Amino acid sequence: MSNPATVASPRTVANKSEKPALLGAIRMALEIESPAVRHNTQAFNSGRYLATAAIPDYDRLKDQARATKEAAIARLPELLATLEASVKGNGGNFFLAKTGEEAARYITKVCTDHQARLVVKGKSMTSEEVHLNLHLEAAGIEVAETDLAEFILQIADEQPSHLIGPAIHYSRERITALFKKRFQTDLPLDTGEELTRFAREMLRQKFLNADAGISGANFITADTGSIVLVESEGNIRLTSQLPPLHIAIAGVEKVLPKREDLAPFIELIAPSATGQGLASYTSVLTPPMQAAPALSDSPVQREFHLVLVDNGRLQMREDPVLHEALYCIRCGACLNSCANFQTVGGHAFGGETYSGGIGGSWEAGTRGLLNARFSELCTGCSRCVMQCPVRIDIPWLNSNLRERINECDLEKSGSILEKAAAAQFHAKAPLPKIFFGRYDLFGKWGSRLAPLSNWINNLPITRALMERLVGVDRRRQLPPFASTTLSSAARRLSPSKASSCRGKAALFPDIFTNYGSPERGLAAIEVLRSVGIDLVLTEVSADGRASLSQGLIKTAQQQAQRTSELLLKYIREGREIIVVEPSALAMLRLDYRRFLPHDVFEEIRAHSFEAVEYLWRILQERQLNAADFFSAFRHPLGTRLFYHSHCQQKTIGAAAPTEEMLRAVGFDVATSGVECCGMAGSFGYKKDFYDLSMGVGEDLFNQVRATEAEGERRTLVATGTSCQEQLHAGLQRKVFHPMELLAAIRATAEI
Amino acid sequence: MSSISSPVRQDLLLQFEAAARSAAASIERVPYSAESLAAAVKRIATGRIAIAETLDLPPDLFADLRKLPGLVRGRSKEELAACDVGVTEAFAGVARTGSVCVAVDHDYSGAISLLARMHVAVLSAETITERPGDLFNPRYLHGKPLQRNFVFITGPSATADMGPLVRGVHGPHQLHIIILE
Repeated sequence: MSNPATVASPRTVANKSEKPALLGAIRMALEIESPAVRHNTQAFNSGRYLATAAIPDYDRLKDQARATKEAAIARLPELLATLEASVKGNGGNFFLAKTGEEAARYITKVCTDHQARLVVKGKSMTSEEVHLNLHLEAAGIEVAETDLAEFILQIADEQPSHLIGPAIHYSRERITALFKKRFQTDLPLDTGEELTRFAREMLRQKFLNADAGISGANFITADTGSIVLVESEGNIRLTSQLPPLHIAIAGVEKVLPKREDLAPFIELIAPSATGQGLASYTSVLTPPMQAAPALSDSPVQREFHLVLVDNGRLQMREDPVLHEALYCIRCGACLNSCANFQTVGGHAFGGETYSGGIGGSWEAGTRGLLNARFSELCTGCSRCVMQCPVRIDIPWLNSNLRERINECDLEKSGSILEKAAAAQFHAKAPLPKIFFGRYDLFGKWGSRLAPLSNWINNLPITRALMERLVGVDRRRQLPPFASTTLSSAARRLSPSKASSCRGKAALFPDIFTNYGSPERGLAAIEVLRSVGIDLVLTEVSADGRASLSQGLIKTAQQQAQRTSELLLKYIREGREIIVVEPSALAMLRLDYRRFLPHDVFEEIRAHSFEAVEYLWRILQERQLNAADFFSAFRHPLGTRLFYHSHCQQKTIGAAAPTEEMLRAVGFDVATSGVECCGMAGSFGYKKDFYDLSMGVGEDLFNQVRATEAEGERRTLVATGTSCQEQLHAGLQRKVFHPMELLAAIRATAEI
Repeated sequence: MSSISSPVRQDLLLQFEAAARSAAASIERVPYSAESLAAAVKRIATGRIAIAETLDLPPDLFADLRKLPGLVRGRSKEELAACDVGVTEAFAGVARTGSVCVAVDHDYSGAISLLARMHVAVLSAETITERPGDLFNPRYLHGKPLQRNFVFITGPSATADMGPLVRGVHGPHQLHIIILE
């Protein structure tokens, strides 16, 4: 714990373009904001799983929304022209602001032209982006933030920490303390009800007296000039309809071609965001509302301005990678499903305005590349990928940001040693990135030199040097290099006893299994051969996961190319590819679409399996009873398990088969409910992120403890290597791979 | 008048009721007549009541409502903000989410449905459609929703910004839906 006096405040670490600010922000978040963020994001997250599961055509809606967004961004300049004509035709005003500054100035001028003294505002991230309040206040205009979360932030002078719940880092207790200090009131403010009533009454007066209302817009339709406003409090309805002047500010990317296009978005946004079918209020308006003076008590024509902000977006549109971020509908699903975000929130995992996995691209696009440094907190665990209603590949965006930031950092502050290493490894990145990204080389040499290399690695002097040079935290136990790699150990095994050939497969010794934990691979080989699989081993090849995760994209591309050529040879011999390490399998099944021609990718994807997934499939196909082969009751450690599936394994749908298989053979399986263990490959080994990684892990450790509190101890089981390390670090107990369990059962059978 | 006859629409009605309740709205079915509507509102509403004009429903359906004590005729925002109950027509209902759709610029329906502590939405059973996206389908209600300024209302206004979930923020604390059948 650091001294509280040194703990940063959110504002001072809003700009995280330099690394010390990022590290300070993580410390602050872990010390102050973590419990509230965790509670709120996890509530959103479980709500979303329930709500989206209740939509029968969820996948079709996502496809439809994605296609509409792709087309809209492709046609954006044309749509902006159509929209301008529609808004003007409706009797409104249209302004396209090139920069944030221009947008803020325009709005301030509209307000001063109206002699506005009090402006009510609905929540708008775009208005935060352009620092609108500062401009309005400098012109002597009072700004009342009316969304209760924004109201809190305005009082506390903090930036938002979440796209849709900007004050989720505040617990009720902290809000009470803040209000008591700010308002010096004797009114009771000790419950959510009391705080809400207090704010409602204060803000009701603001609404009734406001001269102008400023809102954002969730969607805008070019053909009709309509805007959609999604909210649950009612403040945006009041903001947009009560005062005589309404200004809506939004990024240019919010424009859709037609009003009819709104259907899938309306159905996706609330379930994805808050886990509701629809938010309390979803307004579809075509302002200015002329038919009746609506909510205004004066019969005069109401005035409407639509201010669209470019501020780097049209340049993002030209970017081969970042343009995908423009499809974002700001639902926050990627934030809520992210284990790191759940632990620190957007004041650490976020920039001045935009937060979470998607936030990096937005900060890079609207403020500049280095403002996306916080995207380093994206571990690539991929849990957000299936949650995004427009299917944005957020880890891919972040890997690309990492590549660009690596290059910047190397040029700006790389030492001579680092530059030499970068040249040697053909990767423009600082040394720590190369170290973690090229585990294929370090693993290879480490294994060749083991056990000497392990002895050297664990010397205090080595650990101190490693911490300084490549950023490996010395509190982490390093997984030892295997002196006998999987590929050399497997050569000594007798070949398949093919009494009855039930399937042909080739096990791909991924670098983590091969150099780090060959025993898992050996167990898989034994088990698969024991059920009659004709199994061979492929050559060792780096699949590209390690390099991709560090932003060494060109290296990953080359590795993917080589690995795919290797695997295709076996696939074309009629063999399925078996992978032990889920992160390597996820490369083959998910990430290779970025690196390989579509047909090659599809062929590899269709023929790659996690080891237990393949076994379960063979047993099912052949209608064999799994318990006949692997009765759990023969396992020496008993039948009670706690199984934690790997993040990427869940994303590619390879977690459920293991759970089914383990249950089918008679194990009593408790499963973890966390998105990720927090180790996330190399992330948790890094000195900069050790505390965060352990903070994330705490959820998992607590689940194990809670499950065991109800009964006896359970054998810990994990499919991912790094999950295994993390569970071991947190609970100091041995963790098994599912194949090791099955192999142990076979061993008792053979005795 | 019309009743729900086909089994599909009965399904939608039941689905609508369940969804609206789980969104924390209260709900009741009332025979399609001015008399029974007024009686239903009288049972739940006390204090100052603002009543918006009907939109698609025949105007005389609201005639008896206007005889209720406490009727507020003024339309200034101060007068509407001081009301206890606001009654509006909902021109559509959404079965999947339990939402009602209100045309906000029709006789102050936006303010009437928002400023009072209780909003009573009057919905004709036959307008209930399956899903929110239907409101953007040109075939639904002859495409009228595509021309309207409206709001999907799903339960009372709510927030979790102050910690626990609280109902009744800037909008009503209670949403009561009266289904006419």
